Amino acid sequence: MALAFLDRDRSIAPAGYSRWLVPPAALAIHLSIGQVYSFSVFKNPLLALHGADGSAWNLKEVGYIFSIAIAFLGISAALFGAWLEKAGPRRAMFYAAICFSAGFIIASLGSSTHQLALIYLGYGVVGGIGLGLGYISPVSTLIKWFPDRPGLATGLAIMGFGGGAMIGGPLANNLMAHFKAAGQPSIPYTMVTMGVLYFIFMMFGVFTIRVPPTGWKPEGWVPSVNHSALISSHNVAVTEAWKTPQFWLLWVMLFVNVTAGIGILEQAAPMIQDLFKGQISPAAAVGFVGILSIFNMAGRFLWASVSDFIGRKGTYFTFFTLGAILYFFLPFSRQDKINSIPLFVAIAALVISMYGGGFATIPAYLKDLFGGYNVSAIHGRLLTAWSAAGIIGPLIVNGILDHYVENHMNKQEAYPLILHIMCGLLVVGFLANLMVRPVAEKYWLKDQNVVVPAGAAH
Amino acid sequence: MADSTNVKKSSPLLIAAAWIIVIIPTAWGLDYTVKNALKIFAASTPTPAVPAK
Repeated sequence: MALAFLDRDRSIAPAGYSRWLVPPAALAIHLSIGQVYSFSVFKNPLLALHGADGSAWNLKEVGYIFSIAIAFLGISAALFGAWLEKAGPRRAMFYAAICFSAGFIIASLGSSTHQLALIYLGYGVVGGIGLGLGYISPVSTLIKWFPDRPGLATGLAIMGFGGGAMIGGPLANNLMAHFKAAGQPSIPYTMVTMGVLYFIFMMFGVFTIRVPPTGWKPEGWVPSVNHSALISSHNVAVTEAWKTPQFWLLWVMLFVNVTAGIGILEQAAPMIQDLFKGQISPAAAVGFVGILSIFNMAGRFLWASVSDFIGRKGTYFTFFTLGAILYFFLPFSRQDKINSIPLFVAIAALVISMYGGGFATIPAYLKDLFGGYNVSAIHGRLLTAWSAAGIIGPLIVNGILDHYVENHMNKQEAYPLILHIMCGLLVVGFLANLMVRPVAEKYWLKDQNVVVPAGAAH
Repeated sequence: MADSTNVKKSSPLLIAAAWIIVIIPTAWGLDYTVKNALKIFAASTPTPAVPAK
């Protein structure tokens, strides 16, 4: 096979290889592809571009770039998950780097020639495939290296996806300012530079990642015999997993958690300015978005780590009970009620930490229920819930806001309705989580030759 | 199975270097974000509560 050095067999860790080298490799990938969350920094510069005929793009057209990228993230994760299990994480990460970087290069051509279709194809389709491949590629490897702490391990990597925007946003802004000051085309040059930089950074992950040898387990670690009934010692193949009610219950849980998070993230800056009229400057609103980014990132690591101790079901129980209560009370902190900015910011930050935590805890939940054998492929299919939420969430939020504006109603009153709908969605998630039971025996993998990774220690 | 006495373990320096490679850009982005985030408390100008229209 071409590029044989990428084969799974060639990436098996030698004896003595430290598992603590694996999270940085995963982080290199997730910190890079997490850039997608900061794509909005390109919006205004793209809107300011004009074609040779003087034409310009509108906000809706430019907005589709991000939507296409997220849609292809879900599609590629679902399609290539099973292939990844065979090809190994190194090859998947390599292709992710190629696609993600090529996406930038193609998009740079689109911006320099003012062809939006090229940007859709580049950043949206090709880059989006890179996002999906990159997102799922280190997950099962991390779970195999950290059977004692799968939540911590996947939380570390997926935290990188949340943190990627914190790097990608200022990097793009600084590069565009630099090229503009030098009298060069700022967007194409920035995109090419970012494509090259991210490729180099992702290559660090590609060459550092290792899969554990068969039968490897942490030194001195003995799987606990007293663990939750939800932690299966059997494996379920991806072809069977999606037929189980557990898969669809988790799909619903991820969908409602992401939709609820989008209820705040989609409109964070205008929301705080509308709810505290005259008290929040545009710069302060950007600061609020920054606070949410930090809690989105921190929540991924903290909640996923906590799930190793209180269990996945307990963690989601917290998200859907505490989260629902917080969503319900969030509107009451506004100007004409309690009028407390710190309270509003604190509640919003906490609920966004649970939004991030939901993403980071789901791979370990899947591993508990379906075993480690096909966890990447199953995770890939589950991520279609994210794509669906990425469409439905903004539809709910923007639909309600548009309705209020078109009917000359007070926009401030739209937010409590939006947040209370999100609260209701979390109640649906609560019920779905409550219904999760161990996977029935008829779905278990019968092939006794399959190596069963050890279960988590609770 | 390899003889555990002859196993060459990953160097702690190598592990530290790998972490530094990912921590440096993260810390840079975090610093930038925190500085912006603080504006919400510095730039906000509290006004008395007003009833909704």
